[in-house]
Amino acid sequence: MQKVLGDFIHALRHDGLPVSPSETLDALNAARLIGLKDPILLKSALGKTLAKSLPHQAQFSMLFDQFFALQKPQAAPHEQNEDADSPLTPAADSVMQPQVDSNAADASALQSPLAQQLMSDDQIALQMAISGAASEAGASQMQIFTQKPMVTMRIMQSLGDSQLNKELMELAKDDHNLELVTQLRNKQDALRQQVRDFVEQQYLLFSKEKGTQLREDALQKIKLSNIDHSQYQLMLRLVKKAAKQLASLHSRRRKVSKRGLLDVRKTIAANAAYDGFLFHTKWKSTRVERPKVMVLCDVSGSVSRTARFLLLFLYSLQDVLPKVRSFVFASELAEVTDDFAKQDLESAITGIMNSRANMPTDYGRALQDFQELAMEDIDNKTTIIMLGDARNNNGDGKSQVWQQVYQRSQRVLWLNPEGRFSWDSGDSIMSEYSPYCSRVEHCSSLRDLTRILGSLLKHSK
Amino acid sequence: MIIKHSDKIASPQLIKDSFEQLGYICSDDIAMAVYLACQLQKPILIEGPPGVGKTELAKKTAQYLGAELIRMQCYEGLDEAKALYEWKYGKQLLYTQLLKDQLGDVMRGAKGLDESVGRLHQFGDIFYSEEFLEPRPLLQALREEDGAILLIDEIDKSDQEFEAFLLELLSDYQVTIPEIGTIKATSKPIVMLTSNNTRELGDALKRRCLHLYIPFPDPKLEQQIIAVQVPELGDELRNDLVNFVSELRNLALKKVPAVSETIDWARALLLLNVHSLDHDWIKTTLNLLLKFQDDIEAVEPELHQLIQKMRR
Repeated sequence: MQKVLGDFIHALRHDGLPVSPSETLDALNAARLIGLKDPILLKSALGKTLAKSLPHQAQFSMLFDQFFALQKPQAAPHEQNEDADSPLTPAADSVMQPQVDSNAADASALQSPLAQQLMSDDQIALQMAISGAASEAGASQMQIFTQKPMVTMRIMQSLGDSQLNKELMELAKDDHNLELVTQLRNKQDALRQQVRDFVEQQYLLFSKEKGTQLREDALQKIKLSNIDHSQYQLMLRLVKKAAKQLASLHSRRRKVSKRGLLDVRKTIAANAAYDGFLFHTKWKSTRVERPKVMVLCDVSGSVSRTARFLLLFLYSLQDVLPKVRSFVFASELAEVTDDFAKQDLESAITGIMNSRANMPTDYGRALQDFQELAMEDIDNKTTIIMLGDARNNNGDGKSQVWQQVYQRSQRVLWLNPEGRFSWDSGDSIMSEYSPYCSRVEHCSSLRDLTRILGSLLKHSK
Repeated sequence: MIIKHSDKIASPQLIKDSFEQLGYICSDDIAMAVYLACQLQKPILIEGPPGVGKTELAKKTAQYLGAELIRMQCYEGLDEAKALYEWKYGKQLLYTQLLKDQLGDVMRGAKGLDESVGRLHQFGDIFYSEEFLEPRPLLQALREEDGAILLIDEIDKSDQEFEAFLLELLSDYQVTIPEIGTIKATSKPIVMLTSNNTRELGDALKRRCLHLYIPFPDPKLEQQIIAVQVPELGDELRNDLVNFVSELRNLALKKVPAVSETIDWARALLLLNVHSLDHDWIKTTLNLLLKFQDDIEAVEPELHQLIQKMRR
């Protein structure tokens, strides 16, 4: 039982469920109480101890079904036999009986161990043998699907398939054995199918996560502008995951309390009931202010893809960054905060990109628009994030506006999707703006985004 | 308390049946959770939409096991003093005042500060002893001789810090009071925590608990619940009522009606002497099921369609 449960928990972890050792122990204890006979009871009991939230429950339920379906081949043939037997009349049963006997007599004459095993119909022993052979063949180390046939073959080999084949050849020479041979062949096919299923299961349980993990790792590092449509969905999921991680990291500890100064006024008020004796001390606590964020995104051709992910990321951080105002520009700048409020994230972003992207960039114009729209709302708690490559098509950059923004705000971050070496090359006027930025960062991958936004949240404390 | 009641918690099925006799119809999942909690001595974290009977489960468990139910309602700003213990300041003050003269006697003849303090020390920590301790729910639950059911209601409403403070209690059934020491449970209580998911609970807390999610019951189970709670209601009406509510739950509403609302509605219909659900009755009593004006306005034009579906 321990082994089965251990394997199962291993599979759960592979699928991304965080199961701790103490939960494993709980599950073992629960399984001991319930027993392994009733799968429905067992599922319910294990679910209580291993899956601790609703999405995890669903995941658990699916995996449980998958994993223990694997055990079914052991039980199913027995059940089938019993089912088949029960409706039979006694007469039919007696006809069956001698046949089985004759089989047994023949079976004893068989040489190869696999053939004996097959004829004896001992499914449990067979299943054990398959599991044993599978671990030797490295079934749990499979990473890609092309490995499946090879592993299947290896398992069949170590079960003694070649010996069986040889014996079948010899038996086939004799006509008397015809019935036995066909029977054995059928059983061999059934066994092959069983092994194939087993390998399939193992592949599902153990390799899936490795594959996605590899891909996810790669996607973290890839340039956002290089991500194509096929990876977009996976990327969306990754962005949301990263955002959730950041959010849960920073949603804690809103108060930095009980440190620093004694709040005399509150202390006296709280102790009035005790005749002025100061039993309770009250401390001045400071509330962490969530930063007000304004984000300006260049959505012209080259930057638009990165902008898409930045916006997606920012709005997935709603829990910890509730006050985000967003502006997009190519030549004209417009506020798109309301677009996000009305529609869901993805359609809003797609709509914005379709309507505004693909226009020549004009930073001067955009900054002027920004000045009119939002300059008044910038105060010393506002963080400004600008995403753009500062390629201004040789126009006037109006950096004095940016200077004003810098002076009014708490912090100005400039994220540039281009590498540092190409700043100020060609029509890029990065050096005009960079004096008026608290930080200038190169930002091209999801990893960069996570790092920068993480530090933004940290500094807000 | 486990030994005392070992026959009562012999199997999940037994628990389910016994709860049914007490008027609490539960699914297999719920019975299994209670069974495991008793057998493994683990806290249960109960989640689910409001009004599906999370708190009720704790009450019925207490009733069934004949144990005391100690309930602690969580809210923002709840701290140790309100949850665990508090010193009786007033009593301490009063006693020092009353004992002033006695203290004078004790001190008489003592030379110098050292000797006076030395004499005081002979009396130990008089004012920080158990007599001056005001036990709050958590401490009460630990001290209960026969074990108790400790219901920590709406844990998600409390602060992060309080959640961390609970960890010691949940894993070892003990708490530490700086002035007195560590207090261990005389008999381990069964702890039930409920949560409405207003915020994500910490992993450490979840790890220490069994997890039970109570969803809205399926129509069959809900019919049983109504049959037990409002037995006077006719079969046909009950059938219609449950179907109607389950149709409502499929709509996109601000707050969908829970079991408790279904029960209220059933009671109201009984009181109004309604024999069959028709459009007018539903319209006039809709405010029992839906608690937002927006929702009521959204549902009213759909009523005819909903009634048709209900009859099907």
